[in-house]
Amino acid sequence: MLISSAAYFIGRRKALQSVQGDVRQLHSLPGHYGWFSAMTSLLPGLIIIVVWIIFGSVIVDNMTLASLAGLEGGGKIQSLSDLDRAIYLNDIHNLAVGDAISRPASDNLTFAAQYYLRAKENIFWIFSLSAVALSALTATLGIRKISPTMRSRNILERLILSGLALCSLLAVLTTVGIVSSLIFETLRFLDHVSLADFLLGLKWSPQTALRADQVGSSGAFGVIPLFAGTLLITVIALVFAVPVGLLSAIYMTEFASRGARAVFKPLLELLAGIPTVVYGFFAALVVAPFIRNSGDFLGLEIASESALAAGLVMGIMIIPLMSSLSDDVISSVPQSLRDASYGLGATKTETILNVIIPSALPGIVSAFLLAASRAIGETMIVVMAAGMAANLTANPLEAVTTVTVQIVALLTGDQEFNSAKTLSAFALGLALFIITLILNFIALKVVRKYQEQYD
Amino acid sequence: MENTSKAMIEARNVNVYYDDNHAIKNVDLDISSGTVTALIGPSGCGKSTFLRCINRMNDSIPSCRITGSITLDGQDIYDKAIDVVQLRARVGMVFQKPNPFPKSIYDNVAYGPRIHGFARNSAELDEIVFTSLQKSGLWNEVKDRLDTSGTALSGGQQQRLCIARTIAVNPEVILMDEPCSALDPIATAIIEELIEELRNRFAIVIVTHSMQQAARVSQKTAFFHLGEILEFGDTSEIFTNPKVEKTKDYITGRYG
Repeated sequence: MLISSAAYFIGRRKALQSVQGDVRQLHSLPGHYGWFSAMTSLLPGLIIIVVWIIFGSVIVDNMTLASLAGLEGGGKIQSLSDLDRAIYLNDIHNLAVGDAISRPASDNLTFAAQYYLRAKENIFWIFSLSAVALSALTATLGIRKISPTMRSRNILERLILSGLALCSLLAVLTTVGIVSSLIFETLRFLDHVSLADFLLGLKWSPQTALRADQVGSSGAFGVIPLFAGTLLITVIALVFAVPVGLLSAIYMTEFASRGARAVFKPLLELLAGIPTVVYGFFAALVVAPFIRNSGDFLGLEIASESALAAGLVMGIMIIPLMSSLSDDVISSVPQSLRDASYGLGATKTETILNVIIPSALPGIVSAFLLAASRAIGETMIVVMAAGMAANLTANPLEAVTTVTVQIVALLTGDQEFNSAKTLSAFALGLALFIITLILNFIALKVVRKYQEQYD
Repeated sequence: MENTSKAMIEARNVNVYYDDNHAIKNVDLDISSGTVTALIGPSGCGKSTFLRCINRMNDSIPSCRITGSITLDGQDIYDKAIDVVQLRARVGMVFQKPNPFPKSIYDNVAYGPRIHGFARNSAELDEIVFTSLQKSGLWNEVKDRLDTSGTALSGGQQQRLCIARTIAVNPEVILMDEPCSALDPIATAIIEELIEELRNRFAIVIVTHSMQQAARVSQKTAFFHLGEILEFGDTSEIFTNPKVEKTKDYITGRYG
């Protein structure tokens, strides 16, 4: 860093000197030359540091293991399986920082731990020094290249371009990484459970036996009850949120005075800022008991955890999403269409029903789909308000569970890897991901298809 | 028409304010049926504002305030007893930019009759739509594709569709706010012919920036300047023998 900033000023001054302070003779602005020098020193150093972060620990580990080979009894390390070697290494690391280890500390182990610490420190110094040295070297080379005709502005543009491209590549790579890990784990899960059982099974009870003779050892991994529960809650949420959100958007855009809008809109958007956990305990502690009590009053049997409560609260949560998206599309309907309708003697309601809503429909549909995918992916509210029981029911008064809730349940607490139970979480995640992806895709398509209608 | 000379719209002492801005000052104007009245004048002089007062399109602008009286057949249109919806059915409007609804050609024209309940059955509605399209001169071009979107037509066709849509409500007055300013010369010529034909059945008020257009299509011309009418009279008189110096300057292109 220091070298880079020094390089900036040196490069800038060199450029100025080369033309005796006449900026007009330079191809680029003096600052460009400065940045060019700074970059030439910064980038190689950065690359070394990145290499060190990624490969440093591997190098140190291999050096440590190699050092053991020369010791008495050290040769057998090489003959260990991969897994055992990893455990051994882990012990070395733990011993080095003073943590508990899984075996009595032998001389070899102690030696290795000390060697590990030393190697780590050495490697750190080697890399830091080489980074500094390389920075200084490239900075000198860069500065030497500066001349009035050098097109440092163009070089900088290219550097910035590749920096930007790198950032977007990172986002894409992350997505690819997540999706592919989902896919691979799902494939492993499908080794345990057949695809047909997973997609078409009517029973969800993710218990697998640790021992062969255990009771309840036959796990059932049918997702239908989970998706039915998800669907039920989503439908309840949408039935509640879509009319309210849409109508409030119409009120905001067409009827509300500027003052009313200034008050209502931020308040409505405040709803979007409430953490879902808060919605969750609101659902569990206020709405669900209220629904149960009113149910008692009407003579209905309602579980204290009901799909209705979760759906309603989830509906409240997506109202702001629905209303602000519809608000945007409704305000983007051209004023000229409103004028035309009013000019023909239409009332406000006729104009809204016959002109504004049809024109804004694609946007409203996509708002609807985005709200739906938001509701499908919601977890906290359902965990707290709808329960964990995987019932296959269409009755909104019973407890149901959703895909996301089950993923939480599967991955919290102590887990064994490689069991069908844990792996099923990945399969559920993939299924959920595909569904929301399809919804978003349709939403985008709908918007695109009708977008060119005006202008 | 026997009463062509009788004024059907009488504006008396009309003043319009946008907040503190006095946009129209003491305007008196008579508009007769069977006549095309052109409103000319430099930009920002209040022509469009005045036009929009005649069917109360300015109602939707909160800062707009109007004093004076505008009567349609002797009835004050700003009277509380007047239903603005019925007023606009009697006083139709064509806008500067063609603004067909993103619906089919048929539905565009049928929109007005539908909301006013003019047709008892679909045959009557068909009749209204077809004659309106014929009157607007669009029929031959679109009769085979009435179910295609109105926005797919060319600019000139769109504007004639908007005129057909206005005619379909069977108004007494048609207000046109620079109806040709977004059109090419050929489409403009077609619309001007159309205005000439429509004159027999409707009173037409047209705002235009084109002197030639005002001279070609109108019988009466009002010259607006800074919110006032400086001169109003027969078009032939105003264009050949203007009484006010400013009118002469404007018409001959020395000013504005």
